[in-house]
Amino acid sequence: MPIIPAELVHANVSLSIDEVHQRLLSGRTLLDHTADHLLEVVGVLESYGEVLDAYSRNLIYQAEHQFLNPLPIFKYLDGDLSPAKIWRHLNHDRINFEYAEYCMKGMLWHGTGGLDAYLDSDFFAVQCGSVIAAKSRRDPLLSLLKLVAPGFLPEQIRTAATTHALGQFWRVMSDLFLDLAAAEREATVRSIADVVDFIKQGLVAAAANPITYAVRIGDRQHWILPPEAGLTFLVDVAVPYVEAVFLRGMPFLGTVSFNAQAQQISPDQAQFAYGALYADPLPSMGAGIPPSLLMQDMYRHLPKALHDWYLQRGRGAGDVRVKICRSFQKSMFCVTNAAINGTMPHPLDSDDPAHQAANAAYARAWATRLSAGRTDCLAAG
Amino acid sequence: MHRIPRLSAALPLPLQLTWLIPIYGFSGMVLSLPWATGWIKRNGPRPAAYLNLLVTLLAVLHGSVVIRMVSELGPQHLEFSWFQATDLNLRIGFDLSLTNLAALELVTTMSLVCQLFALGYLDKEWSLARFYALVGFFEGAMSGVVLSSNLFVSYFLLEMLTLSTYLLVGFWYAQPLVVTAARDAFLTKRVGDVLLLMGVVGLSAKAGSLEFTDLYSWAAHARESGAIGPLGACLLGLGLIAGPMGKCAQFPMHLWLDEAMEGPNPASILRNSVVVTCGAIVLLKLMPVLVLSPLAIQVLLAVGSISAIGGALVALAQVDLKRAFSYSTTSYLGLVFIAIALQKPGIALLFLFAHGLARALQFMSVGSIIATTTCQDLTELGGLGSRMPATALAFLVGSAGLVGLLPLGCFWCYGLIVHTLLPASPGFVAVFLITNLLTAANVVRVFRSVFLGPVMPKTRRAPEVIWLMALPMVSLAVIVLLLPWIMQRIDPVPGIASFPLPVGLGVAASGLAGVLVGCLLPQDQFWSRSSQVSLRVLQDLLAYDFYTPVIYRATIVRLVAGLARATRWFDLTVVKGLVDGIGRLSLVTAEGLKLSVSGQLQTYVLTLVLAIVLLLGVLQWARIGI
Amino acid sequence: MLLSSLLLVPFLGTLVVLLWPGGPSPQRLRLISIAILALQLLLSLLALLRFDGSQSSLQLVELHRWLPGIGLDYSLGVDGLSMPLVLINAALTLVSAVITRDIDKRPRIYFAMLLMISGAVNGAFLAQNLLLFFLFYELELIPLWLLISVWGGANRAYAATKFLIFTAISGMLILGAFLGLALLTGSVDFSLTPVLSERLSMGGQLLLLGALLIGFGIKIPLVPLHNWLPDAHTQASTPVSVLLAGVLLKLGTYGLLRFGLGLFPEAWARLAPGLAIWAAISVLYGSLAAIAQTDMKRMVAYSSVGHMGYVLLAAAANTPVSLLGAVFQMVSHGLISALLFLLVGIVYRKTGTRDLDVLRGLLNPEKGLPFTGSLMIVGVMASAGLPGMAGFISEFLVFRGSINVFPLATLLSMVGSGLTAVYFLLLVNRAFFGRLAITPPCGDAQIDSRLDVALAPVAPRETLPAIALVTGVVGLGLLPFGLSRISDATTTAMSLVFPGVS
Repeated sequence: MPIIPAELVHANVSLSIDEVHQRLLSGRTLLDHTADHLLEVVGVLESYGEVLDAYSRNLIYQAEHQFLNPLPIFKYLDGDLSPAKIWRHLNHDRINFEYAEYCMKGMLWHGTGGLDAYLDSDFFAVQCGSVIAAKSRRDPLLSLLKLVAPGFLPEQIRTAATTHALGQFWRVMSDLFLDLAAAEREATVRSIADVVDFIKQGLVAAAANPITYAVRIGDRQHWILPPEAGLTFLVDVAVPYVEAVFLRGMPFLGTVSFNAQAQQISPDQAQFAYGALYADPLPSMGAGIPPSLLMQDMYRHLPKALHDWYLQRGRGAGDVRVKICRSFQKSMFCVTNAAINGTMPHPLDSDDPAHQAANAAYARAWATRLSAGRTDCLAAG
Repeated sequence: MHRIPRLSAALPLPLQLTWLIPIYGFSGMVLSLPWATGWIKRNGPRPAAYLNLLVTLLAVLHGSVVIRMVSELGPQHLEFSWFQATDLNLRIGFDLSLTNLAALELVTTMSLVCQLFALGYLDKEWSLARFYALVGFFEGAMSGVVLSSNLFVSYFLLEMLTLSTYLLVGFWYAQPLVVTAARDAFLTKRVGDVLLLMGVVGLSAKAGSLEFTDLYSWAAHARESGAIGPLGACLLGLGLIAGPMGKCAQFPMHLWLDEAMEGPNPASILRNSVVVTCGAIVLLKLMPVLVLSPLAIQVLLAVGSISAIGGALVALAQVDLKRAFSYSTTSYLGLVFIAIALQKPGIALLFLFAHGLARALQFMSVGSIIATTTCQDLTELGGLGSRMPATALAFLVGSAGLVGLLPLGCFWCYGLIVHTLLPASPGFVAVFLITNLLTAANVVRVFRSVFLGPVMPKTRRAPEVIWLMALPMVSLAVIVLLLPWIMQRIDPVPGIASFPLPVGLGVAASGLAGVLVGCLLPQDQFWSRSSQVSLRVLQDLLAYDFYTPVIYRATIVRLVAGLARATRWFDLTVVKGLVDGIGRLSLVTAEGLKLSVSGQLQTYVLTLVLAIVLLLGVLQWARIGI
Repeated sequence: MLLSSLLLVPFLGTLVVLLWPGGPSPQRLRLISIAILALQLLLSLLALLRFDGSQSSLQLVELHRWLPGIGLDYSLGVDGLSMPLVLINAALTLVSAVITRDIDKRPRIYFAMLLMISGAVNGAFLAQNLLLFFLFYELELIPLWLLISVWGGANRAYAATKFLIFTAISGMLILGAFLGLALLTGSVDFSLTPVLSERLSMGGQLLLLGALLIGFGIKIPLVPLHNWLPDAHTQASTPVSVLLAGVLLKLGTYGLLRFGLGLFPEAWARLAPGLAIWAAISVLYGSLAAIAQTDMKRMVAYSSVGHMGYVLLAAAANTPVSLLGAVFQMVSHGLISALLFLLVGIVYRKTGTRDLDVLRGLLNPEKGLPFTGSLMIVGVMASAGLPGMAGFISEFLVFRGSINVFPLATLLSMVGSGLTAVYFLLLVNRAFFGRLAITPPCGDAQIDSRLDVALAPVAPRETLPAIALVTGVVGLGLLPFGLSRISDATTTAMSLVFPGVS
């Protein structure tokens, strides 16, 4: 048996169900407060905010201006066709919008929550019908497709609707994370608890924001997600997003075999555990690991303090994107923490035993799911 | 003044530079290196993809210019000296015949289409540059194989294909099943390659030149002149067919194609269409040499028949979308093997064209399905038809191009081969028709379970794939639809329709029967197994590929592992034990010696002197003795 | 004088390193040695420039009487057999010095020994007098033994002793054979003149050739005389392994060709069928033993046993092509095994282990050793004989040259070439594919998936020598005519003078 130098291998302790449960109920944050943690979380969320800003703008641009475009060659250029921009695009000196589409696809495919239910409603079918009718009047290809593949266009419109909704969601989150960074610079946010609280306040404030989406065809506005549908930020978009991206996720081709005979992937999507809170940071930037794109985007927008902090650790710039992934996972636990706190059925300090029991059951359900995730990242240095 | 050879002076520049076409692919690999190795860290890897697309486009264009010129000037031959020493002369030769060039265009066009498709399929892939580097390498090697006029070059490039297959299957190296799949893919092909190398080395030593034309004239006289005995010819033939057997995934060396399905789908497209074609083309070029060995021909026929029907049967029992078609590839290449072995090279080539394009299209639609549904389990798919029209179209056209029913590519091939074989070998006609039937049943079965039927949880939200995948798919579908016309142009004499109507009807009838069977087959549902014991045994036998992996493990793997363990035991116990024992006996102070450095030196000098004295004594004695 | 300078530079360099005034730091000593070895490489290249490959005769000859009483002359010369080996020696000793880092124990002696080995090896390759050859052959022994026994691993004393005893016996047998040749022919002329043995009876020839075969067979090494090699490699440090595998084993095959085949052509022809079988056994034995290893370095060491067997096969067949193949195989094995040992050394330095049951996923792009892994894939593919790299053309020439003479032994050796792919694929797939880990799997997948691994990064300068070797391997694989131009005339002449059995 060879002797492995102990300092080369390291494992952090995961949180138990009871520990998570207890922390959620007591209002203690999942991530303990240290100066390093604060730097990591706020710094990573700041770069994430920058990236989300670009993602959000592009998703909204795609949904509004590339709607049902069969050859959306310039969909990542946001309408700016200057040679400089095209060159940057060709040189791949750009944000990886593919990752934003990947998250959108995850949301669409897992299909949970209010937005998804709306996309199956008769009301949506009616809206869809009028949009298709308007659009295919001027487009022979679409009218042909409408005939031979009646399911095609509604599915594309559902995709566009999800794209737009995710764009709106990220708009809010981007502003929130950038505000958080500003607040930390102004020293109004000084601890991890403040961070969680700040995000919670932001989510609560945006909770009832309406989610709407309309496209212009000719000179008429067509509603796809009309205000009457009553879709709102938190329950109809944020919660499905957390379910699809943070929790379930999609199996990575780089770590899971899709071979049907190997049966590595559950037939039940609800059993999936590939999301951001579950993923293994170590293979980041390897082959077949889509979040590598996000890590690269954040790497290009790191605030200086955090960048320097990374350079002093591990391999410095050599493994910076794995370190970003770790910090990102920590910050996503903070965001989840805030979301759970914000959606607790009753205030934590309530004295009513019924309230307490409801809170406990809610916290227990979350603890069960979260404790299977990579809570070990919370203890990582 | 030196006289410039007339021929080369007459050749236009694009023809003289045809050797560049394989180089384009290889240069794509080199161009990708800055991104693939991570030297460029801040920007993403896409420029590598664009550069590869560009050089591949260049290869396609150059190839089409060469085709135009060759169809005017007639076939040409290019030759360069590579290595010459004593009686060995290894040359690089390219035959610019229309069939070779058509195969070249198939390779480069498929590579281009696949690379475009991959831009969409792998849009979230950070190791994109490595993928394109490997595809460039792949394309370069394949372009060389189809042009090669020389067995040495063919072997050289076939091995490079083995290497790039290994690296492409191993692309997602962190995935547990890939670890074993890449290894097995390499080793299975390597077995074929080593056997082929034995044949190549043997031929080189016997025949001298490795140019195919020289080999043909050598083979024509080898038997009479006694250059090779019956046993030698037999072994030679078996060695030579082993390489193509491995490359074309024929029984029993078909295992790798199944495992290779762990690799990225765009690479699967290339593997199932053009890589196997390259293997068959090498076999085609070897055929005039193989007539030396009747046994090798018999083996080819047997292997081809078993692969054709066995592969089609195994394909029918797969629940995995990719594997359902990869076994079908084995099956079709089995048919090509039969055609080659029965000396029908023209039909074999047409078959390869028709199959390659249609199969690629089929695999593209498979890739679209996987990309959209994150799933390749047939039992979890369903109801995609109306929402994914481009994918459904590609699937239908691709499948129709493979099955002998509608008048697309393979139908005409079936008609030709059935017509030519009917008088002499009706048995093989049956193999062809049964394979057609089984293939038709398979595609109908898969179509039903993927595109028809109820919507499943994983197919509930299934938008059509993005344009980067849809566009190459639709374009290729158009090409497949136009294929009969292209085939007619490649092989105008006697024409692809030169078989009587009844034969065509017979082929169509077998296809139709297959469609009916496919419609009636019960659909797989969550690993349903029949309750009837005999049926269940059969079902499992086919689903697990006749237990080939198990058989391999029980025989070859076990043998090699056992021999390795025995050698290790022998090495540790006998050899090392003996050495240590002698050491202990001769060096009484062995323990002390280990500790003291000076002690060792002294002993060394002492033994040296002693031994010299001893040896001299022995020599003296020997001298007297002599 | 050019050839003498190839001896003078490293030997004077030894003195320079030993006597450098003040207490030079290990780093400075390393730089001095690198400079001296670079000079040696330049001189070797100069010799190559002066060398005319179209001639099969000895060139750049230098002859001085030294001790005529016992037949010892200072006689140097170079031909197509020794020229490539001199180059390999210069290149690989330089690589060894470059990859020597963190030597804390007696750096002076370490670098002095390295230089001395290089000089002695040059001497052995250039010597045209049997006793002079023997002198250099023995001279290389003690420094190498010191390098293993002082700077080796935990079990170095055992390995070094074994190495010493084996090679001492090897030296004795060789000396015995040389002396025997003189005694039996009654001449005290030890210059390398092949006609001597014609005066001997077949029995005498066989006896002397047998001594040489065992003597050089230990050095190559051939099964079952190989037992010292895996231990020596596993205990030796990386630079020493590079030198041992890349250069010193070639002394054995060189000796076999130059003295076995060269001095006793008739006996050689008599023994050739047996030698071919011996070669095939060596190849298969080495390959099979390599499959069963879990220590990466031991695996590479056993692969050396297998791959050196090809040279014996080629020598046994003794055709123009096979002898050229033997030279190619010596050069390419030198480059490839040096590359593999170097890369295994990097893995060992970063992870602290070479155990294939433990290492996984080293290709990880951020935290693993991805570039080392990529080079390793190139290295093992070259070793497995993939075209486009040096191993292929060498093996092709060996097999092509031997198959008509010894079909069975050649085919068996080709099976060995196939087995190379097996063990090296096991190596790459186990150590480099999968999720990064340097501890054995504990059985619980979740615990395994949460282990973090913090390996030190590989600096570009660490892989630079490997890149140089890869360039050599690919260069020789794609453009082999350069080497054949050097050696073709000599090897052809050798096989024509002593035509192989047919």
